[in-house]
Amino acid sequence: MTAPTGDEPGSRTTYDLTKRADQEAYASLLMAQERRRKWMQRTRVALVWVFLVLILWFLFSFLNLDFGYIFQNANFVLLGIGVTIGVSLVSITIASIIALFGALGRLSTNSIFHGMASFYVSLFRGTPLLVQIFIIYLGLPQIGQQISARGFPWLGSLFILTAIQSGVLALSLNYGAYMTEIFRAGIQSVNRGQWQAASALGLSRMQTLRLIVLPQAMKLIIPAVGNQFIAMQKDSSLVSVMGVWEITYRANRFARKDSKYMEMFLLAAAIYWVLTIFSEWLLARLEGRMARSDTR
Amino acid sequence: MSRLFKYVAPLLVVLLVVAGCAAPVAAPAAPAGEAAAPAESGSAAAADLLSEVQARGKLIVSTDPAYPPQSELVADAAPPADTKCSGDEKPANQFTGFDIDTAAEIAKRLGVEVCFVTPDWTLITAGGWAGRWDLSIGSMTITPERMEKLYFSQPYYTTPAAFFVHQDNTTYTQPADLSGKKVGGCSGCTYEAYIDGTLSIPGETIDFVVTDAEFAGYDTDVPALEDLALGDGVRLDAVLTALPTGQGYIADGGPLKQLGEPVYFEYLAGAMDKAAAIDTQSFQDAVNKAIQEMHADGTLKTLSEQYYGTDLAAAGATFDLAALNQ
Repeated sequence: MTAPTGDEPGSRTTYDLTKRADQEAYASLLMAQERRRKWMQRTRVALVWVFLVLILWFLFSFLNLDFGYIFQNANFVLLGIGVTIGVSLVSITIASIIALFGALGRLSTNSIFHGMASFYVSLFRGTPLLVQIFIIYLGLPQIGQQISARGFPWLGSLFILTAIQSGVLALSLNYGAYMTEIFRAGIQSVNRGQWQAASALGLSRMQTLRLIVLPQAMKLIIPAVGNQFIAMQKDSSLVSVMGVWEITYRANRFARKDSKYMEMFLLAAAIYWVLTIFSEWLLARLEGRMARSDTR
Repeated sequence: MSRLFKYVAPLLVVLLVVAGCAAPVAAPAAPAGEAAAPAESGSAAAADLLSEVQARGKLIVSTDPAYPPQSELVADAAPPADTKCSGDEKPANQFTGFDIDTAAEIAKRLGVEVCFVTPDWTLITAGGWAGRWDLSIGSMTITPERMEKLYFSQPYYTTPAAFFVHQDNTTYTQPADLSGKKVGGCSGCTYEAYIDGTLSIPGETIDFVVTDAEFAGYDTDVPALEDLALGDGVRLDAVLTALPTGQGYIADGGPLKQLGEPVYFEYLAGAMDKAAAIDTQSFQDAVNKAIQEMHADGTLKTLSEQYYGTDLAAAGATFDLAALNQ
């Protein structure tokens, strides 16, 4: 029995696949070919990126950008990164907790839980985030004042949130609604047989969820949550309407000073892009870790 | 009975969770010192806004640093070491502009430091500030709609509206000569209402000296000035616009000239929240007193000349605040 011919000069051309040594040599040849193919593929993709960046650069050259101005004032905009990341991290954490409870509600056979969860998802997915921010920032204090006026000042004062708190609450509630569906799909992806088997072993539903279902569901949930986190980094720019000095606010207000709009907006865009690329890299590593149990 | 419990129990649990969640969301994210302020303003025990401002030693003013020369950012200014501004609040040296200097001067006369917050303009004019800031110094025009939500202070300066004609024109000597002519301006602004004879400005009696003029509307003022600059009577006979806008266009080489005195003034004032939880009367009185003093001793005139190159403040001093009936 003879294997097909190797295509590069200098290598062996025939393999006797009945012999173990030849089997191994042929296998390593195939693997080397696969590695080279992958490397070529990556190089071609990188070349396309370089080409596209050059086109972008060429288009931007029509804008008459003042690069010296960008470098001089980048520091002021860069100071907003901490706020952007901080707001996004806190919000995605709270949103994940909301989403877990939301998903359990959506999957519950109890009509009250199910009704509340589906109402929440419908309301917060069905209205724009910016409008939610305005309502939480402007509307909640008015409710709080009415509660205070009725003799519960401690309860009323809880409704008066600062700009950052309002932004975090709006982002958490909005993203929590979208992520409820992610968590629901993740939990549903775990075969029903797992629930039945756990029940047969005498585990309660709570134990089954915690020990059996969620660990398996997380493998599906985490990449999708990471995706939401990347989206949120950009949506957090909406909190700038309340005067939170994050990246967009700083770029926008600084641009007005000297009418350097394109310079400052491109700088902000570049910062968000770098943040996203970094988050994608972190996420890919996390997914690689999660996929370990799948590799044999 | 057990059926009822099955429905009620989850609701109780959720109520507890909501109550439990509400507290941590509000509390830990609050920077030190900030959580205390809303709590104070919420309780009925706090006497009034003026004593609260003096007790905390800082006046919190809203500004939007998007409008040079009223308010703009200063890059890389380190906050002073002894500042009382905390959390979202920024000390005065982070900004520059006419509004900023005016606010700092008011705070100085109240004996406190000024701190700025920067919410969107919509949030400022909406009222219902919930004690987040005390005062808006944002060149806000007094309008009947805004008076529903806000108390206005004594105006600290004005935007005079004046007619401009082509420099070659010799037939017009006063605004009244423009009756029946074609006047340009930004549509939807007060200029259009003035030409229509429908303009009403709170606290001001308007003398409509120009009658039966045809109004040509533009998106903004500058295109109207450019059309007038094409030649006397080519597209327009005159433009009605803000005095600084017209003067700025002439200073940049536009072939126009101002016709007579301003025909009316838009008054720009500080604003305070009508829906505040505590009494603001003594605070309003203190702010008005400070602004009147700044008119009287020439502080506002000097600031106006510094930032606008002309005295826009004078007419603000003679405005009768009581006529607003607020």
